Amino acid sequence: MADDKPELEPTVLERWLDEQQHWQRTVMSYVDSLVKNDEFLVHLGNAMRGSLLAGKPYPTQPSADATAPQTPADDKLDQVLFALHKIEGQLSDLRLSLDELRAAREKKKAKKRKDKKG
Amino acid sequence: MSDTDRERELEALLTLSRRGRAKVERLHEILTTPGHFGTGASPATVVYRENKLRLLRLLDETGEPRRGPPVLFVPAPVSRYFILDLLPGRSFAGHVAAAGHDVFIADFGTPSREDRFADLEYYVDGVVRRCVRTVAALAGQSSIDIIGYCLGGTLSLLYAALYPETVKRLVLLTTTVDGDVQGGISWVAHRMGLAGESYDEPRLVPAVEVKSWFELLAPGSNSVVGRVSDLWERLDDAPERLRDVRTMATWVDDVVPAPGRLLAELYRKFGPGRNTLMAGTATVGDRRVDWSAVTMPVLSVSAEKDTISPPEGVDAIVKIVPHAQVMRLPGGHVGIVAGRAAKALWQRTVEFLST
Repeated sequence: MADDKPELEPTVLERWLDEQQHWQRTVMSYVDSLVKNDEFLVHLGNAMRGSLLAGKPYPTQPSADATAPQTPADDKLDQVLFALHKIEGQLSDLRLSLDELRAAREKKKAKKRKDKKG
Repeated sequence: MSDTDRERELEALLTLSRRGRAKVERLHEILTTPGHFGTGASPATVVYRENKLRLLRLLDETGEPRRGPPVLFVPAPVSRYFILDLLPGRSFAGHVAAAGHDVFIADFGTPSREDRFADLEYYVDGVVRRCVRTVAALAGQSSIDIIGYCLGGTLSLLYAALYPETVKRLVLLTTTVDGDVQGGISWVAHRMGLAGESYDEPRLVPAVEVKSWFELLAPGSNSVVGRVSDLWERLDDAPERLRDVRTMATWVDDVVPAPGRLLAELYRKFGPGRNTLMAGTATVGDRRVDWSAVTMPVLSVSAEKDTISPPEGVDAIVKIVPHAQVMRLPGGHVGIVAGRAAKALWQRTVEFLST
């Protein structure tokens, strides 16, 4: 009958070596994601600022010209652009009014037809 | 140091290492898991576009719009709309839709630099009005229900006073009416003597600055060290919980830039010391707002622990719209709408909409 050698518990040193290998695998998973996933770097950067914001970088101060025009020409251009947005809205108002008039007319016609049948 | 002491130390370090690695691995799992981030949880179609605005209509399981009574959600233009449609099972808009309503949500989008000229009239008498008209036309109704959240509630209330015949019922969520009540962003800015925005030469207020104003009301939340430490602690949570946290973080941290002219006008008209909403002298463009025109049923909800819209400032609506039903719920500004206990609000809203 063969001797059954009792299974020895790994020493703390062996467990440390094992833990190091786990760490290596963890680091490799991060490197793998950095290589394969364009957004991962952004998400990791956000996490390092304490945020789980997904899909875009954590907000930072933008350039000066993103908040206000740097030249009078830029200011004029912005005013024109915004005026165009307002005109777009007014055209929508016009279209909505025409649709409402059309719908009211149809409703009136339908009511007339119903009254005739009655 | 004896061998036993050395081993004990190594064991302690090994335990720390394992716990730290588990957190790092949990972080990796969360950062690489797809989810509902910034897109809204419910299937929807865009039924109207204007400038950066998209008017969304929620669809049912078959991909079709519902045919029930129409409801328009109006969020605050300075934050993302999807707080109202956060996650499957945690969607206010989804809950109202499941109750049989034809639900629309105004997504104001992200302003560009030229949008710094947008003012109250642009939003109330322009964008919101066109959303209401579009919803009414699509639903074949002359009047619709509106649910306004925070500044979206302010816009909705002003709209309802100007066009009462188009509003069937009005729900206001954490909408400040009394700007003289202590607390809230305007009040804090006023007390700190911060320079208000310029109406005549407005700028596009950067998102990071808008975020910092909200953080004024939660000291410590704007500290990187505090945030990192908080996140490190949270990495012990279950993955599902962390995914929820991530979705909420994607709303909290993804603030949009704000039109400076709008902020200037809000502060100048409704802020501390001016308080024209309460005085009954508010204007939109050159139109005077008459609160006696608000005759439709109104439900106003405040949150007990709201630091952005203090509840006393919200509940004051009964002084200008005496028939308004007022309800105060436990929780904070965001929690009552999209938190784990938000169903109480959702259910009460559905009940109100069926009266």
